[in-house]
Order: sequence, then structure tokens, then C-alpha cells
Amino acid sequence: MADIDKNNKNNNIDKNNIDNAIDNNKEEIKIEVKNLNFYYGDYHLLKDINLFFKKNSVCTILGPSGCGKSSFLRTLNRMNDYTEGSKLKGEVLLDGKNIYDKSIDVVELRRNVGMVFQNPNPFPKTVFENVAFGLKIHGIRNKQFIAERVEKCLKYAGLFDEVKDKLHKNAFSLSGGQQQRLCIARAIATNPSVLLMDEPTAYLDPASTATILDLIANFKKFYTIIIVSHNIQQAGRISDYSGFFLNGELIEFSKSGDFFTRPKDKRTENFITNRF
Amino acid sequence: MAKLNQKLKLKLKYKDDLFKFILSIFIFGIILIFITVVAIIIYYSYPAVSRFGIAFLWTKEWNPPKEIFGAATFIAGTFMVTIIALIFAIPLSLGIGIFLEEYCPKFLKGFFTIIIEILAGIPSVIFGVWGVLTIVPWLRRDIEPFFEAHFSNIPFLKVTENIGYGILAASIVVAFMVVPIIASITKDALAAVPKITKDGALAMGATRLDVIKDVSLPFSYRGIYGGIILGFGRAVGETIAVVLLIGNQAIIPKSIFGVGYTISAMLANTFTFAVISPIYASSEVALALILLLISLIVNIIGRNVLQKVIGGKLSRTQFGGG
Repeated sequence: MADIDKNNKNNNIDKNNIDNAIDNNKEEIKIEVKNLNFYYGDYHLLKDINLFFKKNSVCTILGPSGCGKSSFLRTLNRMNDYTEGSKLKGEVLLDGKNIYDKSIDVVELRRNVGMVFQNPNPFPKTVFENVAFGLKIHGIRNKQFIAERVEKCLKYAGLFDEVKDKLHKNAFSLSGGQQQRLCIARAIATNPSVLLMDEPTAYLDPASTATILDLIANFKKFYTIIIVSHNIQQAGRISDYSGFFLNGELIEFSKSGDFFTRPKDKRTENFITNRF
Repeated sequence: MAKLNQKLKLKLKYKDDLFKFILSIFIFGIILIFITVVAIIIYYSYPAVSRFGIAFLWTKEWNPPKEIFGAATFIAGTFMVTIIALIFAIPLSLGIGIFLEEYCPKFLKGFFTIIIEILAGIPSVIFGVWGVLTIVPWLRRDIEPFFEAHFSNIPFLKVTENIGYGILAASIVVAFMVVPIIASITKDALAAVPKITKDGALAMGATRLDVIKDVSLPFSYRGIYGGIILGFGRAVGETIAVVLLIGNQAIIPKSIFGVGYTISAMLANTFTFAVISPIYASSEVALALILLLISLIVNIIGRNVLQKVIGGKLSRTQFGGG
């Protein structure tokens, strides 16, 4: 706690706001981001980000295009490692351990922190192999275990009934909404504790979107979920916490109820109201 | 004013139609050339085909004074050189393509790519001369004695004459000529794999090797396959380098170290003398017909049958864009 206070001194977030949030919810903190700065070449993309994500909560990161919200999400599972010419300062603590520490095994980190992308991005394999992919690369060879796990994950993702006759067909033969749920099943197959979602419904029709939002609400029991979105209504409906990014800065971060009804910052208010 | 616009529109429409017409003539010209090539080859090979029939394909003798002609030795030589060249070239090219696209640092990638493109454009006679100066002495001095000492009782690896020239020398040099083609197409095919799909695998904890094996290669399979077909086309028809290296004897090689002859090498060496006898000339054109059919069949099989098999398994048409 003292750490948070210290680190929030120079931050835009209202300090009391965070303290209140923490005091009101004694639940465990899953991810804590401390003084995170991210540079792309000379460009200072993320500026001194400080925030936390509670265990088994849904948090939405909002903001206009180019505000750095997707880049922020990618720092949480070190996907930014592959961005050439990028540099990161600060800490991201997952269960109290800095994921940028040298001792961290990136493969194990990504098993624990699953990711779902904007576009459905199934692999050029069968439906079954797509879900089994994560298990296989993490060294699981037991066929029966894999088969059971695949079925379970497809059921969790609400897809099993639709694809049970197509398990050994190419994943590209599914519809866009089904493909996205397949990607969710694939992401949860390795039993992660955190799910990162980068605008997971951006390219889906309203019906598929609704299905996925329901999934997210159910998944809260098992995972800490962090969603990047530009859809304010969605964020209001499904998330416990909301954050607002603008030009690489975290303008406001609070419980969704407060965030949408009593935004502390004028810029947050403008963003919310303009869109409503 | 409106009338003027009308006129202008008509004029533009006329120009557009004219342009389209001229382009149509060009494309029609290409088709005409293709038809003419096939027709002339068939027409001039007809005397030989009607005299020797299908047995021309498996007759080993090629005897102009007796007017007995058969293509078997040349077909065998052609396939041996092509297949051995591809056995060398395919793994090497895939390795180069994968390295350039997936592992190579950015500042070196451009440099290597230019080198490969230059290699692809070097005239084949230069490869042939290079082969005579380097590969042939190397085979004669180091490789053939080694195989003679250790593998002399294995059928395909028996060294009959320790001269360096032969099927293997030709295959190695043809392989070097084919590598730039397959490698650059492999690189391009891998570059076309959607980044978001690769990211998907990386985000699950996949290593680069997992990504290449499970995402990139399955995705770019068809492109790479097309590159191999193109490489086959180049290898099967390669002439000058082979003439310089294969030994040019009309016998069916019993070993990869044996000398032989390919269809294209035979045509290049003897077609100008063949005019002394109509059936001799016609037999040579029949060889050309066989080469033409091989390349057409490989192209057609390559483009249609196998692509359908692969395409059915890995249809990309449903991939969601955005």
C-alpha cells in the first residue's frame, strides 16, 4: 500500500480515488502496474502509468484511437518484446512478481496471461488442433487429457454444440463470431489466470458480440479480465473497473459506477458524454 | 455546356475502348505464340512419332546411321538431374527463405535479398563455367575418391569413372540455379502470413520455431509449393550449364556419379546437325515435345490437382479481414 502511495505521487490519478477503491475492496490485487513508461523509438507512447487490476474482476481500458491503450495491453504479456525499436521502463507486477525481471520465463508468463485479439485469428489448423495448440507447445502429450480439455474449453466458450461435428474441419470454415469464440477457447486452454482482450468484438455482428459479452461476464469467476475497447456502452455494462487513456496518459481509473456517473476529470466526462 | 460534356465523354469512352482493344491484341498474341509453339513441335515431331510410336519413350538406342531413335536415356538423365537438384535445392531454399523472413536482422535482410535476386538473374552459362572450374575438380579430387573408398557397393553411389563430370556435377550446379527462385518465393510467401495470426501463437507462449512450424508454414504452403514448381521448371529445362557438366553420353546412368545426357543438352548439342536426315531431325523435335509435355504436365498438376488437395485442407477464403 505504501508503495502505491509513493508511486502515485506524480500521477494524474486522484490518489484518494485509488485508496478508496483499495479500502472498499479488500480483495487481492492480481496485476499492479508501477511507473510504466513505453517508448517507440523517440516517441513516448505510454507516460508514467500506475494502476492495478483486482483478482476476478473485469476492467475496461477506454480511449480514442492511438491513445496507447492497445500498446498498454501488450506490455502486460510482453508482446511488446517483438516491437522493434521499443523500450520499456517501470514494473508490471503479476502476483507480486515483476514480469520484466530477468528470471521470468516468457513462455510460462504467456501460459498464465492469455490474449484475445481484435480480429479472429485462428491458426491454419483444425478446430480441435487450434484449441490443443497451447497444450502441445507447453509440452502436454497425453491424448486423452488434451481431448477432454479441448471439449471443456469449447464448452466454456459456448461453442461446443455448434462445432462438435466439425472438430476436425479447418477453423477457417467457421463464421467470424465462431472463430472469435474459438480463439477464446484456445486462450483459456492453458488454464491462464489473466485474460487480455484487445477489442474482442470490434469486427463482430451484434449477435456474436452479445454472446461474447455474456461469456466475459461468466468468466469473471475464473479469470482477471482486462479489455481494451472504444465502446463505452459495452464497458459500462460488463466491467467492474474502467480506465481512460488519452495521449499515452492514464487520465482516470476507478470503479465503473463512479467512472460513468461521476467522472473526476473533465476530459473523461467529455469522452463519455460525446459518445453517449 | 451539357452537350459539350456529352461530346467529351464520348471521346473519352472511345479512347478507353481503343486502349482496351490494343491490350486485347497483346494478350491474344501471347495465346497465339503458345499455340504456334505447341503446333509446330507436334507437326515436326509427327514423322518420328508415327514411325517409332510410344516405344520411342523406352527405346534406349540413339543411332543416327541406323536411323534407330529412342528417348529413354535422355528422359532418364533429365529426371535424374532434376530430382537430385531439387533434393539439394528444396531444403536449402526453405532454410534461406525462413531465415530471411523470420530470423534475419532488418539491416541484413535487404542486402541478402538483393544478393539472391542477383543470383537468380545470372546467365546460366556462367553457372556452368563456374561448375566446371570448381564443382568438377572438387568431385574428382575429394568426393569421388571418398565414395569409392566407402560406398562402392551401394548401387546409386558407385563411382564408375573418376572424372568429376556427370549427373551429380550437373545436379549440384542446377540446384544452385534453382535455390534463388524457391528461396525468394518462400520468403515472399512467409511475409504474406498475417501478423495477427503469428502474434496469436506468440501470445500463447509459442517459440519462433513453433510459430514457423504451426502457423507460418501451413499458411504459406501454397506459395512455397508454387515456388518449387517454378524451380522444377527451371531445373528440367536447364541447358547450357548441363551441357558443360553432365558428360554428354547417351547412356542411362547407373549411379549419380555416372555421365549422362538430358533432353535439353542433347538438343543444344546436336539439333543443328540433325537436319542431314528428316527422321533424325524429327526425332530430335520429338525429344523437344517430350520436354514440353513434362513441363506442361508438371505445371498443370502443380496448379490444379495438388493445390486443390492442399486448398481443401487449408482454405484461406474465410479468413476474417479488417
